[in-house]
Amino acid sequence: MSRSLKKGPYVVERLFGRVQKQKQNGSRDPLKTWARSCTVVPEFVGHTFMVHNGKTFHRVFVTEDMVGHKLGEFSPTRIFRGHTMVKKEEA
Amino acid sequence: MPRIIGVDIPNDKPVWVSLGYLYGVGRPLALAICKKGGIDPNVKAGQLTEDQLSKVTGIIEADYVVEGQLRRQVQQNISRLKEIGCYRGLRHRRGLPCRGQRTKTNARTRKGPRKTVAGKKSVKEMR
Repeated sequence: MSRSLKKGPYVVERLFGRVQKQKQNGSRDPLKTWARSCTVVPEFVGHTFMVHNGKTFHRVFVTEDMVGHKLGEFSPTRIFRGHTMVKKEEA
Repeated sequence: MPRIIGVDIPNDKPVWVSLGYLYGVGRPLALAICKKGGIDPNVKAGQLTEDQLSKVTGIIEADYVVEGQLRRQVQQNISRLKEIGCYRGLRHRRGLPCRGQRTKTNARTRKGPRKTVAGKKSVKEMR
């Protein structure tokens, strides 16, 4: 079920504040964050985030298309490197 | 055989069924179109008059996205997901389900026919 419109998008206030601060300073340094559940709002466009995936920080540059998604969607938490080869059975 | 929106040629079925042959029109929408155009949905599609046909075409063209345009729209939405590099986009790229379904078993619609791996445990047991 989608989120109630009454509440508006879920935005982590602290992160939003940090973005606003950056806007004032004019700096575009990547913001390290653990807030994967934070919705990308239009104010984030053009900023870079380092989104934690449980192990490392994944660099995410926010473009206009990303608005409405969550930050965590851009930082995959699982790595699949393919299945291991099974040794050939001897006859 | 009547022709509606380019190539589609529904046949001697009731209107509400044969309209479903259009991509993007299902039975509920077909019924809604019939109601809007004041056409009895149970009339065979072949018996529609020219007037009624143009009416149906007009309604669909004006209010709904169907066929090629709809296909393009869907494709665009998917390519957008792929471009922004989000989780759903990655799943589309890999041809895996995007909505959190299990993939340990099933998910055959997305994954296609089974690719059996030789030497895997289950294969050995089957012998």
